[in-house]
Amino acid sequence: MNKTRSFILVLAALVLFLSGCAGFQTSSNNEEANKEENPEGKTVIDFWTFWGSEIRRPIIEKIIADFNESQDEIEVKHTYLPFGDVWTKELAAIAAGDPPDVVINDINATALRGQKEQAMNLSQFLEQDDISNRFYPELWDATLYEGESYGIPFNTDTRVLFYNKDAFEEAGLDPENPPTTWAELEEYAAKLDKKSDNGYDRIGFYPLWGVGYDVWLLNANGQNYFDEQNNFQIDTAKNEDVLNWLKSFKDHYGEDVINSYQAQIDSQQGHPFFSGDLAMIVQQPTFYTQIRDYAQDLNFGVVELPEYEEGNGHTSWGGGFVAEIPAGAKNPEASWEFIKYLTDVEAQTYWAVQNFDNVANIEAAETAAESTEFTEDGTMVYQKAVENMEHTLLTPVPVIAPDFSSLINPNMDEFFLGSMTAKEALEKSQKDVESLIEKNQ
Amino acid sequence: MGKKRLTMRRKESIYGYIFVLPWIIGFLAFTAGPLVFSFAASFTNYNITSQMDFVGGDNYQGLFTEDSLFWTSLWNTLYFVAFSVPLTTIGAIFLSALLNQDIPGIRFFRTLYYLPAVLSGVGVYMLWMQLLDPGTGMVNLVLSWFGIDGPNWLFDPDWTKPSLIFMKLWSVGGSMLLYLASMQGVSKNLYEAAEIDGANTWRKFFHITIPMITPVIFFDVVTSLIGGFQIFQEAYVMSNNGEGGPANSLLFYNLYMWKQAFTNFNMGYAMAMSWILFVIVFFLTVINLKLAPRWVHYEGEEK
Repeated sequence: MNKTRSFILVLAALVLFLSGCAGFQTSSNNEEANKEENPEGKTVIDFWTFWGSEIRRPIIEKIIADFNESQDEIEVKHTYLPFGDVWTKELAAIAAGDPPDVVINDINATALRGQKEQAMNLSQFLEQDDISNRFYPELWDATLYEGESYGIPFNTDTRVLFYNKDAFEEAGLDPENPPTTWAELEEYAAKLDKKSDNGYDRIGFYPLWGVGYDVWLLNANGQNYFDEQNNFQIDTAKNEDVLNWLKSFKDHYGEDVINSYQAQIDSQQGHPFFSGDLAMIVQQPTFYTQIRDYAQDLNFGVVELPEYEEGNGHTSWGGGFVAEIPAGAKNPEASWEFIKYLTDVEAQTYWAVQNFDNVANIEAAETAAESTEFTEDGTMVYQKAVENMEHTLLTPVPVIAPDFSSLINPNMDEFFLGSMTAKEALEKSQKDVESLIEKNQ
Repeated sequence: MGKKRLTMRRKESIYGYIFVLPWIIGFLAFTAGPLVFSFAASFTNYNITSQMDFVGGDNYQGLFTEDSLFWTSLWNTLYFVAFSVPLTTIGAIFLSALLNQDIPGIRFFRTLYYLPAVLSGVGVYMLWMQLLDPGTGMVNLVLSWFGIDGPNWLFDPDWTKPSLIFMKLWSVGGSMLLYLASMQGVSKNLYEAAEIDGANTWRKFFHITIPMITPVIFFDVVTSLIGGFQIFQEAYVMSNNGEGGPANSLLFYNLYMWKQAFTNFNMGYAMAMSWILFVIVFFLTVINLKLAPRWVHYEGEEK
């Protein structure tokens, strides 16, 4: 019938028209964005971070505002995206050919992103403007893929041992002489234990709070699982010894005690270290800000991680973030100018002091350590954090097997749960990762 | 030539198409392209940015022969589906039967049992992580009143999947509502006739209520089966760092696929995984549809 047919035609036309509208709208938006110039003729660049908290957001936005005022060529716009989204969104934007101009990303996977051509190769800028010696070499090396950098280190972290000085005194230990070896750590922990009728009033130390087994393996070995030729080595007698040592703490305190303390730590409503129920813990230096806010009267000290045995080295573990230019960004020169500012002394010092965060720029870190804005305790922790950088190793993901840890962790879980021996867990990990490497080659 | 009047039947089918048109347009514009692309790219080493070379069936072959995590994730997902689908279906039917009574205050209870279905997402998972905490959680506290030493739930690989199934049972309110609605639609005459014949409550339930609600059971089983295979969020939120729980016990199929796609950037590989899942779910759904005529009763159906 005529009526029906014309109705369908109208409907179809309407649908086409509407979808057409939508199409035109997005493309015109894109054109606007691609112009990348604001009315004053400045180049506008988009900077993506996941720093949206009440504390961090004002700090990064102040740095951006300072940069915008410092010159009249470039205007940086800040876009905050939640931590869970920012990198998948970045990837989608790169694939769509319209990426942001600068993104903060994980330092440990920088080489992988370089290999996959997600991040821009920065050597074209570094040839004219070598800023590599601003940063801790360990951080710089983590940004390299085949010797070329794909991201500029921004901030970092490390792991140190916090200990309760009052508890030391009470247990008859010298609060100015914290443990320096694993043997001492174990001995002191036992002395710091305070038993009560139904459990513990105080636990001396438990190595797997704050860090994982991997940090202790790193500490004992002084190197990563992967060497420079991509040879993977985990199944060693030393590692077996380390794992059994870690587990001895669990056996010592018992599963129930560990679980109830763990629950207290997880609930974030009263950390046992703040209440004096736990005498020592390995943490990032930023742990201090929680002590400052929630346990002002705590009399504590901070020291580098004890060493496996004397002379073995106080190796610690760190991570961090880089500022990178996504592949296909429209104004790499402007992005580069901003990254240089972001990783220069002034911005880095400001970030370090305001956030109490380890920064990648050596001079900034050292300046911050002298800052008068910190309290006495703050200065003590920050100085230790900066000093600790010389012991700190990163664990960049190997491009040959980026997900290798998902083959190790389950075995380690089985070991700590008691369904595998250390030897079995290590042998299986060794075998599994080797076959993954073979598969990927 | 005069225009022929459309028959009633043709008219109806045209109206039908008009009603599904929005979906068809949406499908063609947004879903069909990616679908075809993902199938094509599953035969490549596509990594989103730098490479897309044809590798034949390597992805599929690698998954089946060299990837132990693939099998782990498939096993975890099958385990979850095999328990959660029947249990939540039975739970929802049971609950709606209880709530299909004519007693004072029943509306209050209906609201109460439906409430968990209103809450959703990450908030609920966080809540359950606290409830299931081995040391301080409510669940083990209540168990301890009865002298039961509760398990370590999310920390024990043998208990992580049961924990999630347990959590799913708590929120059966959504499907309960469907069953309740369909139970209320069952004609009173049937029950009266059965009563005259001397049927007790159980017989009435199994011989009248259940057969009459089989279309809803069928719908619920099909959709929750498909939903069950897509489990992702729970494991991502409720395991440490989204890694898939102790000893990979929560490494579900979609979580592993997501990790391959977005942390390892093996997009082609992940696409191959998604097609394998598609085939599995498709196959199960076809079986479901084939079996349906044997047990699903549609009233007014032409025989």
